[in-house]
Amino acid sequence: MVVNEALRILRTVRYDAAHFSVFLQAGSIAAAAKPGQFVMVQAGDGLRPYLRRAFSVADVTTVAGVPGFELVVRAVGVGTEALGRFAEGTPIPVLGPLGVPFPIDDLKQPDRVALVAGGIGLAPLVLLSRRLAERGIPADLFYGGRNESEVLKRPDFERFLGAHRCRYATDDGSLGKKGRVTDILGSALEAGTSYRRVYACGPTPMFRTLAGILDKAGIEGSFALESEMACGFGVCLGCVLPGRDGRFHTICTEGPCLPPTAIDWSRV
Amino acid sequence: MTVDLSVHLGRLQLKNPIATASGTFGYGLEFAGFVDLGSLGAISVKGLSARPCLGNPPPRICETDAGMLNAIGLQNVGIEEFLSEKLPKLHEKGATVLANVWGDTEAEYRAVVERIGDDPRVAAVELNVSCPNVVKGGMVFGNDPAALHALVAAVRPATRLPLVVKLSPNVTDIVTAAKAAVDGGADVLSLINTLVGLSIDVETREPKIGFTTGGLSGPAIRPVALRMVWEVRKALPGVPIFGIGGIETVEHVLEFLIAGANAVQIGTASFRDPGVSGRLVRELADWCDRHGVARVADLSGTLKTRPRPEKTYV
Ligand SMILES: Cc1cc2nc3c(=O)[nH]c(=O)nc-3n(C[C@H](O)[C@H](O)[C@H](O)COP(=O)(O)OP(=O)(O)OC[C@H]3O[C@@H](n4cnc5c(N)ncnc54)[C@H](O)[C@@H]3O)c2cc1C
Ligand SMILES: Cc1cc2nc3c(=O)[nH]c(=O)nc-3n(C[C@H](O)[C@H](O)[C@H](O)COP(=O)(O)O)c2cc1C
Ligand code: FES
Repeated sequence: MVVNEALRILRTVRYDAAHFSVFLQAGSIAAAAKPGQFVMVQAGDGLRPYLRRAFSVADVTTVAGVPGFELVVRAVGVGTEALGRFAEGTPIPVLGPLGVPFPIDDLKQPDRVALVAGGIGLAPLVLLSRRLAERGIPADLFYGGRNESEVLKRPDFERFLGAHRCRYATDDGSLGKKGRVTDILGSALEAGTSYRRVYACGPTPMFRTLAGILDKAGIEGSFALESEMACGFGVCLGCVLPGRDGRFHTICTEGPCLPPTAIDWSRV
Repeated sequence: MTVDLSVHLGRLQLKNPIATASGTFGYGLEFAGFVDLGSLGAISVKGLSARPCLGNPPPRICETDAGMLNAIGLQNVGIEEFLSEKLPKLHEKGATVLANVWGDTEAEYRAVVERIGDDPRVAAVELNVSCPNVVKGGMVFGNDPAALHALVAAVRPATRLPLVVKLSPNVTDIVTAAKAAVDGGADVLSLINTLVGLSIDVETREPKIGFTTGGLSGPAIRPVALRMVWEVRKALPGVPIFGIGGIETVEHVLEFLIAGANAVQIGTASFRDPGVSGRLVRELADWCDRHGVARVADLSGTLKTRPRPEKTYV
């Protein structure tokens, strides 16, 4: 069930000037949240920013023994910057968990899957890694960022998935291969690796390229999509993306996790 | 003290003056987890058309200072699916339903209202003559008093339910539009719909909204809405009014009632806080109780204006 509750900030951890994690008190959201789902957070006094902002539930964890959940945030504007400035202990309104999660219930051994993250798109893949590890489903991570310091949560990914299963690509070559994340996934596929499903989150150009790669390879995908959201629960109809069927998909309720084949990438 | 929250907008009787605004409350059912739908004065559902409508290509929304622009393009399931799938459930939950409708042409408006007919599960029909986000129709009716009069008169015979006409604020004189709607047969007026606006991404030099312009809503428009309610109340003292525009708190509700509204509709605020409408019902009762107001209806149109001073020159 979706709940609207005021949750305290347990801790804020800064990675660099633009990136941080906010750990919120669990409320009834943490236990219910599935990988790929998101929350709508009111970050500010209600006039600036006016609307709530959407964030993936990045992980469900504890902070000094207190149950909570984590958001991993890239500050890009007024709302994300405000969220990073709250003092620990501040209660903030949170609505969630929202949306359709990554499909994982149908996986069974010996299925093998891949996780593809671009930039801040790592967020929903942390909780996904945790849940896959619990189920004993082997998963390879392909994670691309601008540079080494923007590749976040490496220790967690490597703990859940195994360091040997984590591959990186950076624009400047400071970590892993110099180039794009879709290049390293593409090489793995060319080398003959196959996956039951590829889970991905990242910017639109990455999604578009990846949709093409998966289509060609005949591999199923599940993408955690993004669009600007006013409500997050299906009533404003503001968050749509064009579908291949000519309709518009309401990303907050039909998604955010949708197969790439649902979207008309030529119109995004 | 028990406060009497009930209000009458002509034949339309509401248990309290807190309703929700079309397009910001879905078909009502989406809010069942946050609000007791039966506790609200009324629920105006997403604008319905004779046939299902896909709406505009994205991007459809962007935030602005203290508000947002939208150009959804009236995406809706169509009147048939509404009547068969949504209305029975709303009725079961005890909701007082305002069927908000629109069309591209007079004939389309009439068709959708005829389909509703005198359905007892609908409390009133609300004509949206003011949507700024569709290529045809909508605004044309809202901007031209003669076309508005003709539209309302054409639709009026299609139902015996109370007819609410929701006016466009994108006019020079709201009173002219209000009079045209009332002369055409409107029982109640809703004001206001969104104000046409534009937001630009300076990096790409493109409009932030796919439709180029969008409708501005939220706290930013509240003073304009309030002024329009006040003007129409003065000019047409006998015509009941739903006040709409940027309402978020009980103080805002009171402002609209005092300016002359008989009830209000909560819009964009429901996106930020899905429980806000239900909470406002309780807070309004508390406020009246604390202030010794026995009947909320007595607050309507109680603005004490000062005489405007003559110009003085030195
Ligand atoms: C389902 C979902 C999950 C998300 N998960 C995360 C997450 O885990 N971590 C994270 O850091 N971000 C996440 N985002 C993106 C986040 O919601 C936006 O970055 C945020 O809304 C920007 O708000 P702002 O006030 O800081 O920026 P604004 O000041 O509003 O805008 C700054 C810039 O960001 C762009 N922008 C605004 N909203 C969005 C949006 N929804 N998506 C993409 N760009 C946007 C604007 O066009 C503008 O260029 C998610 C978005 C969605 C829809
Ligand atoms: C996303 C969105 C969709 C809307 N859709 C409709 C609609 O279908 N029909 C209608 O009459 N008004 C529609 N409106 C207008 C609102 O009902 C209301 O008149 C307006 O938003 C002003 O109130 P507010 O500032 O409280 O939101 C819509 C508004 C928004 C923000
Ligand atoms: S964000 Fe409002 S419908 Fe999706």
